[in-house]
Amino acid sequence: MITPQMKIDPDRCMKCGFCMSVCPVYHVDHIENHVARGRNVLLRMVRDNELTIEDDYRECLYSCLLCRRCDAVCPANLSPADITLEARNDVVEKKGMSWIQKIIYWGILNRRSLVARFVGLAGLIPGLSSKGGRPLHHLADMASFIPGVLSLPRMSLRPLRKRVSMVTSPPPDVKERGQVAFFPGCIFEFFLPDVGEDTVNSLAKAGFSVVFPEGLNCCGLSVHNAGDFKTSCLLASRNIEALEPYDHVITGCATCGSALKDYHKWFREGDPMAEKAREFSKKVSDFSEFLVKNGFNGGSADHCPTTVTYHDPCHLRLHQGVYLEPREILNSIEGIKYLEMDNADACCGLGGSFSIAHREVSLGIQDKKMESLKKSGAQAVVTSCPGCMLYLAHGIRRYKLPMKVMHISRLTR
Amino acid sequence: MTITKDIIKRLNKILGDKSVLVSRTDLMSFSYDATSNWQGMPEIVLFPTDIKQISEVLALANENSIPVTVRGAGTNLSGGSIPVSGGIVLCTSRMNRIIEIDAVNFTATVEAGVVLNDFNMELAKQNLFFPPDPQSYLAATMGGCVAENSGGPYGLKYGVFKHYLLGMKAVLATGEIVSLGAKTIKNVTGYDLPLLICGSEGTLAVVAQATIKLLPMPEARQTVLAVFNDVITANAAVSKILSRGVRPAKAELIDNWIIRRIEEAAPLGLPVDAEAILLFELDGAVETVSMEAAKVVELCFNAGATDVREAKDKKEADNFWTARRMGFSAIYGNAPTALAEDVTVPMDKLPELMERIKRIGEKNDVMIVTMGHAGDGNLHPCILTDKKNPEHYARAQKSTQEIFDAALELNGVISGEHGIGLEKRRYLKNAMPPEAIELLKKIKTVFDPRGILNPGKIWE
Repeated sequence: MITPQMKIDPDRCMKCGFCMSVCPVYHVDHIENHVARGRNVLLRMVRDNELTIEDDYRECLYSCLLCRRCDAVCPANLSPADITLEARNDVVEKKGMSWIQKIIYWGILNRRSLVARFVGLAGLIPGLSSKGGRPLHHLADMASFIPGVLSLPRMSLRPLRKRVSMVTSPPPDVKERGQVAFFPGCIFEFFLPDVGEDTVNSLAKAGFSVVFPEGLNCCGLSVHNAGDFKTSCLLASRNIEALEPYDHVITGCATCGSALKDYHKWFREGDPMAEKAREFSKKVSDFSEFLVKNGFNGGSADHCPTTVTYHDPCHLRLHQGVYLEPREILNSIEGIKYLEMDNADACCGLGGSFSIAHREVSLGIQDKKMESLKKSGAQAVVTSCPGCMLYLAHGIRRYKLPMKVMHISRLTR
Repeated sequence: MTITKDIIKRLNKILGDKSVLVSRTDLMSFSYDATSNWQGMPEIVLFPTDIKQISEVLALANENSIPVTVRGAGTNLSGGSIPVSGGIVLCTSRMNRIIEIDAVNFTATVEAGVVLNDFNMELAKQNLFFPPDPQSYLAATMGGCVAENSGGPYGLKYGVFKHYLLGMKAVLATGEIVSLGAKTIKNVTGYDLPLLICGSEGTLAVVAQATIKLLPMPEARQTVLAVFNDVITANAAVSKILSRGVRPAKAELIDNWIIRRIEEAAPLGLPVDAEAILLFELDGAVETVSMEAAKVVELCFNAGATDVREAKDKKEADNFWTARRMGFSAIYGNAPTALAEDVTVPMDKLPELMERIKRIGEKNDVMIVTMGHAGDGNLHPCILTDKKNPEHYARAQKSTQEIFDAALELNGVISGEHGIGLEKRRYLKNAMPPEAIELLKKIKTVFDPRGILNPGKIWE
C-alpha cells in the first residue's frame, strides 16, 4: 500500500527515467537536474550532506513547472511535483524568503486591492507597462519581478468587481435553477475583467444566479508553489471562509480551480482546517465542468470564428482531469467547427513565474505549442485558463499567427 | 583535475556556453545512471548538437588524454554511462533529429539522441515497426541502445538492436568522422564494424547516427495471461509452445512476490497464491494471431496452467502489461537499494536457474524477486537490500556472485541485455576465457590508442 508519505519519499525513485519522457522542461534543455529524476537525486544528496542548499540547488528546485506530468507516469507511484514543493518549502523555512517576496505576499494577504492598485499604477509607468515594457505578471508572481520581454495587457482601470453586480440573475426568459458563487482569481479580476464578465454571464444564461462574494483573495497557488506554505494556507483559509455560505463555487480559471480543489492537501495532517478544506474542495467546479454537468445544451455564439481548436491547460487536464467537457461544449455550439490540434495537451510554457525566471526554456516550450497551433489551421484557440490565454497570445504575436485567443466562456455567454 | 581553464575555454568555443555545464550541482546530476550503487563525478558536461562538434571535442580530449564518457539519457543498468574516471561527459540528448524514415526500403537513419519511444511514435504514423524494446524505451536514446546492444521482451521473436543495425556515422577517439556499414539489408564488405561498435558500451567510438532496418507493423496483437502453481510448469509450457511452432512476440514471467505487490497496489484480479504468471503477446496477421492465441491457451492448460485468459480488448491487454512494468516499482517501493541482475541461460535450464536462485536467497537470508523473459532464458533476479547497511549489503553482493556462478555453470552468461559496464566487470574473468579478454583489449587499443573512451568499463 502506497502511503502519502511514500509518495513524497525521493529514496523510492529508481531513476528509471520515465519522467524524462513527459517533462516539458527536459524536452527543451535535456539537463538532468531539471527533471524529476535529477531533482530526486539532488534532494538525497542534500539530505546526505553531499551538497548544500546553494543557489544552484535552489535553481533546480524552481526549474519545474509543477505540471504533474511526471506524477502520472511514475512507475514507483511517487509524486515528484509534491516532492519538489516540499523541498521548496524546506528551503523557505530554512533560508527565509527575499524581502520583496515578503512584502508582496504580505500585501496580497492583507491589502490585495492596494497591491493591485500598485500594479495598476506601475502599469501606467512607461517602461513598466504592458506594451513591450518590463513584465508585470500574475499578482503573486511579482516576487520574481525581473527584466524580461513578456508583454502583458495593461492593468484594467476598472477591475471585475466594479463591473459586475453582487448578484447576476439569469436573463428574464431563463428559468433560475440555483445559485453559485463565482471565484474570479487575480487575472480575471485585474487584467481580463471582460473575460470574467463572460464567465459570469454564461453561468447566468445557463440558469444560475451568480454571486460575486465579498472578501475573496488570491487563490494562493503562486505563493504555495514558491514554497511559502504558511502564507498560502492563510490565503486558503480566508477563501474557504468567504465561500462558506455557498454550495457551488465556480471558477473560469484553471489555475485557481486546481488550487481550490487542492486546498485540503495544503494543510498538514491534524490541522483543523484540513477537514474543512476537504469539504470545501468538493463544492468547487471548473466552469466547463459545471456547465456540462448541468446539461449544457449548445446554442449559438455571437461573432464567433468558424473554426476553433482547444488548448488544454495543465492545471485543468492534469490537475483536475477535466478535458472532455470543454470539447463537448465546443462541439455542441452551432456555427463553429471544432478542430483537435496535435499536442493539444502540451504545456503553453507559462508556469507562472517560471516563464520569467527560465525565459529561454519557457519560450522553447512555447515554440512547440505554436507549431501545433499553426498546423491546426484554426481561426481561434480556445482555452480555460487566463494564464494560458496571456501566454498563447504572447506566442501568437511572436509567431505572427492569424489567430485569436479566447476563453471558452466567450462562446457560451 | 585533467581539465584546465584553457581547455574549458576551448570547449566553450567549440560548443557555445549553453552547451557546457561545470557547476557542482550540474556535475553531480550527471554522476549516476539507473543503477543504484555506482557514482562518478565528471569534470565537465557537454551537449554537442552536431557530429562536427563531437569530432572537435574528441580531438581535443585525445590530444590532452582526457577521459570521455558518452551518455544518452543515462537509463542504462550497468554503470556504463558513469564517468568513473572523471573528465568529460558527452551527452548526445540534444542531437535528436530523425534524419530519414524510408518506408520503401524499410530503413531509418536517426541521430544518437533520438528517444526510442519518440521514434516508435513516428514509425507508427507510417505503419512501421522497430521491435527492440528495452523497458527504458520511454527515455532511452537510440545511440545508447546501439552502444549497449539493448533488447527487451520482443527479443524472443524479433531479436535485439544488433539484429537491426545496418550502418552508422561514428566519431573515432582521435576525432575522425567515419561512415560504417550501409543502407542495405545484406552487406559483407570487410569486417562488420557497425556490429563491433554495437554493444561496445561507448569504449570504441562515439555513435553519432545510426541506420537501422524496419519491419511493417503487425496487423494484429493479442495478449494471453496464464497462471501456474509453480515455475517449472510455467517454463515447460513455454517450451511446449515453442516446439509446436508458435513463436510468441513476448513471453514474460512474473513471480509470486510481484503478483502480490501488484494486487496490493492496483488490483488486477490476479491470483495471489499463484507461483508464477506468464504473459504472452502474439502478433501477425489477424487469422494467425487468433489461431495462435487459441493454441497458446490450449497448450498452457495442457501443460498444467490453473487459469488462462485472453485479454478481451486493448485496454485489458494494456493493464496486463502495465502490471508487468509495475513489477519494478514494487521492488523499489520495498527496498532502498535493488541489485537488478540480468543472467541468461539456455532456455531449458531456466527452471533450474530459478530453483538455484531461490536457494541462494534462502541461504544468504536476502529477498530475491524474479522477473524474466521466459522464452529466451533471460532472467532479472532483483536482490532487495540497502547499501547503507553494510552487513546486509555484503550478503546481497555475495548472492549476486552466486547467481552469476549458477548461470555460468548452467552454460549461461552473466548479462543478457544490460551489458557489463561497472556492475559486472569483476566477474568478466569468470565469464570469458583470458585469450578472449586479451582480444577485447587489443581491439580497444586499435580504436582508442590513448584509452580516453569510457575508461574503466567492461574489464578491471
